[in-house]
Amino acid sequence: MTPAARWTGPAALLVLWQGLALAGGGWLLAGPSEVAGWLWSNPGLTTRAVAVTLANATCGFVLGNGAAIGLAVIAALWPRAQNLVAGLALVVFCLPLIATGPILRVLMGPGEGPQIVLAALAVYYTTLIPMLAGLRAIPSAWLDLVQSYGRGRWAELVHVRARASLPYLLAGLQISAPAAILGAMVGEFTGAERGLGVLTIRFTRDLDIPALWSMGVVAAGLSIAVYAAIGWAGRRVLPGTPPVILAPPRLIRGSPARRLADTALLAAAALTLWWAGIELLGLNPFFVKRPPDVAAAFFGSPDTRAALLDAAAKTLALAVPGYLAGLALGAGLAVLLSLRPGLAGLMVPLAVALRSIPIVTTAPLVVMLLGRGAAGTVTLVALMVFFPTFVACQQGLRQAPGPILDLFRSHASGPGRQMLHVRIPAMLPALFASARMSVPAAILAATVAEWLATGRGLGNLMALSASVSDYTMLWLAMVAVTLISAMIYGGIAWAERRVLLVMAPEQVRP
Amino acid sequence: MPPIPLTRRAMIRAGAAGLALGGMGLTRPAAAQVPVALQLSWLHSVQFAGSYIAQDRGWWREAGLDVTLLQGGPNAPVEPPVVAGTALIGISAADYAAAAVAQGAPFRIIGVAMQKNPFAIASLPDNPVRTPADLPGKRIGMAVANTPVLQALCTLNDIDIADIQIVPTQYSAQPLLAGEVDCLLCWETDLPVAMETEGVQARTMLLADHGYVLHSQTYIATNDSLANRRAELVALLGGEVRGWDAYRADTDAAAELTVRMFPDAGLDPETQRLQARRQVPLMFSDLTDAQGFGWWSEESVEATIRTLSLMGRTVTPDLWDRSILEAIHG
Repeated sequence: MTPAARWTGPAALLVLWQGLALAGGGWLLAGPSEVAGWLWSNPGLTTRAVAVTLANATCGFVLGNGAAIGLAVIAALWPRAQNLVAGLALVVFCLPLIATGPILRVLMGPGEGPQIVLAALAVYYTTLIPMLAGLRAIPSAWLDLVQSYGRGRWAELVHVRARASLPYLLAGLQISAPAAILGAMVGEFTGAERGLGVLTIRFTRDLDIPALWSMGVVAAGLSIAVYAAIGWAGRRVLPGTPPVILAPPRLIRGSPARRLADTALLAAAALTLWWAGIELLGLNPFFVKRPPDVAAAFFGSPDTRAALLDAAAKTLALAVPGYLAGLALGAGLAVLLSLRPGLAGLMVPLAVALRSIPIVTTAPLVVMLLGRGAAGTVTLVALMVFFPTFVACQQGLRQAPGPILDLFRSHASGPGRQMLHVRIPAMLPALFASARMSVPAAILAATVAEWLATGRGLGNLMALSASVSDYTMLWLAMVAVTLISAMIYGGIAWAERRVLLVMAPEQVRP
Repeated sequence: MPPIPLTRRAMIRAGAAGLALGGMGLTRPAAAQVPVALQLSWLHSVQFAGSYIAQDRGWWREAGLDVTLLQGGPNAPVEPPVVAGTALIGISAADYAAAAVAQGAPFRIIGVAMQKNPFAIASLPDNPVRTPADLPGKRIGMAVANTPVLQALCTLNDIDIADIQIVPTQYSAQPLLAGEVDCLLCWETDLPVAMETEGVQARTMLLADHGYVLHSQTYIATNDSLANRRAELVALLGGEVRGWDAYRADTDAAAELTVRMFPDAGLDPETQRLQARRQVPLMFSDLTDAQGFGWWSEESVEATIRTLSLMGRTVTPDLWDRSILEAIHG
């Protein structure tokens, strides 16, 4: 891309934004000139808030990714533990931030604790999964070599697997960087003293539209900057482009009996950790509920059950269409840009910006623009799913085998046919990997929109339960959200295996 | 792929950076006084200016307390830190306190900062809501969570809630200004002030003027603290009383102090000044003039219990405990 073409896209977007602000105006939209003016007159406030949020996000990023690397190493040293490690990691990743936030605040007290932990929780899974794949992405001949020297798994890990996993690790770190900022901001909603999230709440109430949009712009700019910085660092360290994140579903495999046993083991491990953690830490039963309390509330009280199921139905009714739209848009745009590369200059910056703006800032803005009906929530969910899918599909399309494309060209098949028969099948593993990883993100987006803007569904139920001290309902909702996310994830993994067995069998062979 | 240098030196460097990060925040000066915390119910603002004055003028320090003010927020727990003992006193409203007690929290209300409930219905002058009788046929923007509040107001004023169209909105004045709704259910002291700062004079109708009696911004403490930490409770609440008396004497100074104490909170001085003035009639009355800040009457307890019963909550007068205030004002 020429330097001129690279800047045309962002410049066109700025002009469009300013135009919309001038046309749409009052109480909704602040244009780039107003945002620049506000930032110019409040440099100290902005810098201090950025410093706090960025510091917490960085601590969470380091902790979360450190944990991810540790877990991946454990799984590489003891392959039998891999299903359990990946399964528990998924369960923890599916925990809804809206419910974990206040619970962490009570457990950790005042200070930066919840912000850092939520940032860590937001990042670790998107690093763990590529790491697990990277630690396996080696020719078996190298392992044979290690074994022929009489060395064990540790030597294998240090000399072979660690180096092979580095590109995957960097790809994971890059994707997780914006998520760390989101996690830190959600943490600030639980009673932090300062930061971008605190200012966002303040300006929403004060109806200070230029200030509110400035916070959105700063948070997005920060996210884009860390995303770009890690991408740049990765290119300095590694030759060539980072690999697409292809992690075939590892969660549960084997015969039906084996899968059932593994699922039962996972459920038992999760329940044990939950219950034992409460007993060991001696937590107060007023706000920390044990598995039997939650089970009794669900099975013993029809009203509680009805309220929970009703909220879950409302959330899913918007989350599922948004999720599917996000997948379709991401894959569709990747295909379109592969056929018409000229549009990339306009679309890529927009895609990065849309995904990077932390959803806690976007949620009120999108709902302001699109209204409180279904459209706002569906759009938010779609935005959340769109970008990772788009990036993964772009890389997937490039994986099309050269010899097969040559064969098509020699038969004078056009780009359309090549796309349909070669590139799209080659893209499917990436699309599925992204579809799985996006499930918790989609649920997060839907519940955040419900909590901050529309006041319905599971997001509202969790916020409301916390405010009226109905901690049984809060824990019940947390279990429900986690189960729903994990079940959709499992369902997609199942479909993925079925499709890939036909379309890309090399991906699913053990 | 060529091997990537994973040298010991690089690892040590990374490890040292990690340790340096971990070490930050471990230093905390030792306090000679009794450390206690006061859990606020929302973000720092002039809503809690009495506490800031007490802190700023050292009244708590004189009384032997090292007080930490814990900020609230949209997703911040208020009652649990009091149950867990992280905070000695929390600021909650009677309805939230009653809900927590129903869930097994061992709370008592030991002071009432807002004698009059701050809930109001805000509307624009050309389509005003002056009395509850104006509500039927209107679109009201509110959080669905606050439906019991509107229901109680309707019952108290013989209005059928079905005649009012509830539009679920986020807590912002924007839907009213954009014409999506005719009125908003909000606090007298926040959204109307935000509109005034933006140059829109909204009309407000206090629910408290139409039968909705419900103590707000109440001080809560556990039975255990009331039994075993009386001296600290008296000192903490005593500082609050002095702070709020000073607040009433000069609300502009209180607003100015708030903005100065929290430079990172994004507070607008004008908004804080307006909010500080609007709070006064809600917090001070003939009763507090006679008996002192935080006091309540038996009648208002009965009326609060009646309002709570309309909202589906059953409480007894035992929820209130005046012994700390009696020790302060005695």
